[in-house]
Amino acid sequence: MEKRIILLAVFAAMVGVIILVGSSYYSTLMVMQENRVNVSGPAPINLTNGSPLLGSPSAPITIVEFGDYQCEACYHWYHNTRADIIDNYVETGKANLVFLDLPFLGRDSITAAQATYCADDQGKYWEYHETLYNFQEAIDNGWASKDRLVAFASNLDMNVDEFNDCMDGKKYVKRVKANYDESQRLGADATPTFLIISPDGKIKKITSAQPYSVFSQVIEPML
Amino acid sequence: MKNIKLVFSNIAYIILAGMIFFGMLIPLLMLSEFIFVEPFFTFHIPSEQVFGFVLILAVSVMSAIVIPMNVYRIRILQKSTSKIGGGILGSIIGASAGICSCGPFGFALISTFGAAAGTATAFLSNYEILLRLGSAGILCLVYYTTTKSISSECKIN
Repeated sequence: MEKRIILLAVFAAMVGVIILVGSSYYSTLMVMQENRVNVSGPAPINLTNGSPLLGSPSAPITIVEFGDYQCEACYHWYHNTRADIIDNYVETGKANLVFLDLPFLGRDSITAAQATYCADDQGKYWEYHETLYNFQEAIDNGWASKDRLVAFASNLDMNVDEFNDCMDGKKYVKRVKANYDESQRLGADATPTFLIISPDGKIKKITSAQPYSVFSQVIEPML
Repeated sequence: MKNIKLVFSNIAYIILAGMIFFGMLIPLLMLSEFIFVEPFFTFHIPSEQVFGFVLILAVSVMSAIVIPMNVYRIRILQKSTSKIGGGILGSIIGASAGICSCGPFGFALISTFGAAAGTATAFLSNYEILLRLGSAGILCLVYYTTTKSISSECKIN
């Protein structure tokens, strides 16, 4: 009898969790649908708080990546797909790339995102970005703690005092928050999420660490 | 092997096994981000995640064998429901392990429940392989005890 009660309680709890998560996911979908209307016009995305532009500013296509430095899928995308996109689209002048932070996985996600802009102050945004994706470990296990972030800066021959001042002064808290808010306004509900913006301002969305072939199939018809 | 033949000689148990197998495999492959449906249907296994894919396949196959065998045991042999609990537990652990915390499901979970969900999804994600191996171990154990049980009970009957 007791076993049945426990089983029933576990089942009820699971149903409750599924309903809650389902309703949250549904409301996110609704927001995404509303935003789909908003993003249909030209240049609807605020990229001013994001990363420096990678590639030619005059490239016809812009790829916007929403990512979290602690996200394993972002790590896989970085190591499996990104290089092909850089080689075939960014370096050939067909597309440029902007990274916007969507730090939601843990406390260190936010500080890691802030650290990239402190690195940008010293002209090393993309080097720092690369370092974070090369050294990523488990979520909040200390790999992106303040000390490690400073060590990464030191390894990139950055001015550590300047970097520390930037981090301690919380210089880029608002910038990272603005990127997070922008991602939510645009309905990004996973990392990595990509928005591919065509020359006429139309946007195609790709969610998660999808292979190069998918990006190619989306980008080619836009060129 | 005889026990498997005995149980799956009935078409209803084959259908049940098929439903459990595909009912687990497809959602798990989607949640673990091996299958994408947008913008195109894409099936993709990164080379470093092959082992994770094999474990999903193993857990789905074993769940599809173990659960119908226990249903048979309960319905035909009128035995207790204790072993099916183990099978379902093994399946649930295997199913929840490695759900990509970066994906829409993880995002919804973290948005709804905050830091606690973040810790839970981080745990599921960080220990994905160990949890799936544990799940396969539980299912193996349940398979072993179930076949033993069916053998002895059928002999007595």
